[in-house]
Formats: sequence, C-alpha cells, structure tokens
Amino acid sequence: MRNALAIARKELSIYFTTPTAYAVFCGMTFIAGMMFLAALGYFQSMSLQFLSYQQPQLLEHLNLTDMVVYPLLRNVGVIFLFMTPFLAMRLVAEEKRSRTFELLMTVPIRPFEIMLGKYLAALALMAVAVGLLGLFPAIVSFFGSSGTIMSSGAGSPIEWSTVFSGLIGLFLVGGAMMAVGLFVSSLTESVVVAALVTFVVLLVMWILNWQAGRMEGVARQVLDYLSMPTHLDAFAKGAPALKDVVYFATFMILGPFLTERAIEAHRWA
Amino acid sequence: MHDRTPLFQCGVFKMRRSRLIAAGNGNASVGDDMIEVRNLTKRYRDLVAIDQVSFDVQKGEILGFLGRNGAGKTTTMRILTGFLPASSGTAKVAGFDVFEQPLEVKRRVGYLPEQPPLYLDMTVYAYLKFVAQLKGVPGAKMKSEMERVANLTSVGAVMDRVIANLSKGYRQRVGLAQALLGDPEVLILDEPTVGLDPIQVREFRDLIRSLAGKHTVILSTHILSEITATCQRVLIIRQGKVVACDDLGGLAKKYQEPNRELSLEEIFVKLAEN
Ligand SMILES: Nc1ncnc2c1ncn2[C@@H]1O[C@H](COP(=O)(O)OP(=O)(O)OP(=O)(O)O)[C@@H](O)[C@H]1O
Ligand SMILES: [Mg+2]
Repeated sequence: MRNALAIARKELSIYFTTPTAYAVFCGMTFIAGMMFLAALGYFQSMSLQFLSYQQPQLLEHLNLTDMVVYPLLRNVGVIFLFMTPFLAMRLVAEEKRSRTFELLMTVPIRPFEIMLGKYLAALALMAVAVGLLGLFPAIVSFFGSSGTIMSSGAGSPIEWSTVFSGLIGLFLVGGAMMAVGLFVSSLTESVVVAALVTFVVLLVMWILNWQAGRMEGVARQVLDYLSMPTHLDAFAKGAPALKDVVYFATFMILGPFLTERAIEAHRWA
Repeated sequence: MHDRTPLFQCGVFKMRRSRLIAAGNGNASVGDDMIEVRNLTKRYRDLVAIDQVSFDVQKGEILGFLGRNGAGKTTTMRILTGFLPASSGTAKVAGFDVFEQPLEVKRRVGYLPEQPPLYLDMTVYAYLKFVAQLKGVPGAKMKSEMERVANLTSVGAVMDRVIANLSKGYRQRVGLAQALLGDPEVLILDEPTVGLDPIQVREFRDLIRSLAGKHTVILSTHILSEITATCQRVLIIRQGKVVACDDLGGLAKKYQEPNRELSLEEIFVKLAEN
C-alpha cells in the first residue's frame, strides 16, 4: 500500500507540475460553464414565460434541480468523454516510452501496486473534476435561494440529495472511463495511440443506445444497459438502482485487473 | 590462434560446488556465489541475443562486463534484474531465482539501466525520494540515505532542479544515485560512466573500489581502463557467447606472447572481434 501511495503521489505531482491537469480542468470548467449558462438562461426565460401566463401552478413544475442541474450533469458526461483519454493516456504508456518502466519493474514492488497507485491517482483527478463541477449547483443554490436568479421566488431551491447522487454518478463515470484509459495505456508505448483508442472505445460505450431506439425487446435492453448515459442518467435523476452501481463497478474492477495482468505480462515476454 | 574452447566452460567447476551449497533457496552465505548464471539464452524472435551464457560472481567481487555493441550486455543485465525473462536458463541472485522470486532479488539489487530511468518533470529531490520509497527505505532514514547517495554522486547542488534541465552528465549521476539508494548488496550498472566528466569518473572509480568486499558489482563499459582500474574479474562476450571469464592476471597469463604480456585492449581485440 505504501508503494501504491508513493506511485499515486508521484503521478499527481507530475499532473500538477506540468500544465496537463490545469489545461484539462480549465477546459472542462469553461465548457461546463457555458452549458450551465445556457441551461440557466433557458430556465429564466421559461419562468418569465410562465409568469406571463398568470398561472402559478405551472411555476411549481419549474425547479432548478430538474431544469439546470440535471441537464448540466448529463452533459458533463460528454465532457468527460473527451477529457479522460487525455488524462489517462500517459499513465503507463509514458513510463514505457521514457524507459522509466524499467525502474518500476526492477524495484521491489508488485505489478499490482503499480496499477493501484496509477488508478488511485486517476480517481483523485476525477474527484477534483467532480469537486469543481459541484461548484455549479452550489452557485445555483446560493443565488437561487437568495432570489436573484428567480424573478418571482418561484420554484424550489436545490435538492441536494439529487445533486449529490448526480455528482457521485459523474465520479463513477469518470472512474469507469479512467479504468478503460488505464488499461489501454498499459498496452502501448504511444500516448497518442492510447488516447485515440480510449476515445473510440468510450465513444462507442457512449452512443450504444442511439441504436436502441430502433430495436425491440432484449436487444434494446442489452444496448441500453451497456451504454454509459443510461446509468449516468439514473444517478443524475437521483434514483440509481443496483444495476447502475454494478455497471460502473464492473469497469472499475475489470480495467485495473486487466492492467495488472498487462504489466505482469512484461515479466513473461 | 583462437583457442576459445576452455573459456566457454567458464565457471563450471565453481558451479558444482555452489550447487551443493546453495541447493534450494535462501541467502547466500559468505564466500558463496552472489550471482549465478546458468545457460542463459535470450531470443528476440529469430535473433539470439545471448546464447548459453554461464558465469558466477562471488560476494564482494567486482566484475567488468565487456563486449562489442550488440554483444548482449544490456540484455544479460536486464534478465539479471528481472526486467526481461530469459528464453531458457536460470539466473540466481543471493540464491533466489530472478524469475521465481523477483521481489527477493529486486530487494537486493541496485540497477542503473543503459538509459537512466528519469522522470524529466520531477526535481532531483522528488525523484530520489520517490525511488527511496519504492525501495522501502524507512521514513526515518530517508533524509540521511538521500544525502548519502547525493554525496557519493555529487548531485547535492542540483537537488532542487528539474531533471529535464540537467546536463547529460548530471542526469547520469542522478541515475547512479538512484541505483545506490537503499545500499543494495548487489549493483548492476550498465555503462555507468557514460557522459561523466573526468573528475567525476575518478570519483566513481573510488566509489566502486570502496564497495569491493562488501558489495557485489557487475558493470559494463566500453572503456577498458575503467576495468583495469576497478575490477578484479572480467567477463567478455561476443555475439551473445561467453569468450572469457577470468581475473585480470589470469587473462594476461593465458594470452601472453613469448616476449611480452598483452594489454587488456589487445586481449579484448583478440577475443571480441567477430
Ligand atoms: N527489444 C529488442 N527486440 C529485438 N532485438 C533486441 C531487443 N533488444 C536488444 N535486441 C538485440 O539484442 C542484441 C543484444 O543487444 P544488447 O542491447 O544486449 O547489446 P549490448 O551489448 O548492450 O550493446 P551496447 O554495447 O551497444 O550497449 C542486439 O543485436 C540487439 O539488436
Ligand atoms: Mg548495452
């Protein structure tokens, strides 16, 4: 464990002493900010419109959680889709390319510890990302409750249980994507190849259910289950089921496990 | 003129003895072979990089490893450190098989790869600390251990600089410092003096000489004067095969000409040329 933590610390120190992490997080916050403003603008115009109808019961259907936070969290999944391949690509591939892999393989540590350290660092990055995104609902709740955004004081303030569920969902999406990225990175010496392959795999996982609409029965259910947005959605709505947790857990266990195997395989060939 | 046959069998006599003593696993006792290599072969697809290499290194001995470019020195060292698997044959360090018990071997070996394994984005301090942690240097001793290796390799002055900005020689020194961390019993150094300035080379020689007796060292180099200055024994390989494995005096005797002794360089040319 000590070794894994040492590796995780090293990974994080490299992410944060080079511009990589900052660039990625800035990009993420910027795009999420744009999405946030768009959702907020829509919410505002809807409230105004409903106000002009003079029908207060309509206003009750408007709330910040459903109309701003929920679409934001869902869309951020797409940002993760572009961001995680960049973050994960160097994890193992860079060690091989720069020959530092030879150091890791000749000091008294196990492949398992190498993998664990790297994956812990990846999860820490995702935690930071989710923490940054958590600022958006916090802003909504701050201004939402003080009534500046809402022209009439209509709608309810943020439902934090739903928001937390959504943020946890995002963290799991990030963790699953990083697990894929880590494994792909352990198969190649090229960070570019690692990023590209990871992106393609994740994209497929993301758009799998686009086909589902045209299908029936079991095929539809399978495609729905396999695609990531289905499960992020469940979390963002605040009602994750066991199958959603199992879905992400599968990635987060299988990816690191296969990575460990791939590193161990170097000892054999 | 090229009578190499007896040399191929280098260490066979010793092998019988050490098999008796070190049957099974466990620590090598004093006077025993620290490193035991038997019929080691490594193939990269069709290319045979090393072919039935056998040799022993005794505890406390410093072995110079010679051979032309591509002879298989780096390959042999990578197998000894557990980075590469052998295609066939065995290698043992301190009685532990490098493939079967890699952790036991890695705990005892300090390794400087051909290309120093440096994280260019880290400072020297952060890098050495990272390696010390991985080598299991206890937290309380961390600082003194890092100071010790920094002094031995004269990198104290660049401790806070980012490795990417260091000159080649300094990078080599940091690589060397990394290998010395944790004071391992066995040092495997692949061309350790590449890029060092003459003064640093001298310090390196003194360092290696001071290790003799307690530490076991294998170092490869193309600079023959380094071998005569630091090593008791040399191992010469040619196209993956051992052609000589003897102490310096023994080699000189074996290859002396009627009226004079040959220098190591002349012997090397004689043996290693294809
Ligand atoms: N990964 C690899 N794949 C294929 N062939 C390899 C690989 N690594 C080494 N070789 C080959 O194995 C042979 C031995 O290489 P090695 O690096 O051990 O030589 P060396 O004695 O260290 O040479 P040098 O003095 O130039 O460092 C060479 O012919 C080399 O081309
Ligand atoms: Mg070499």
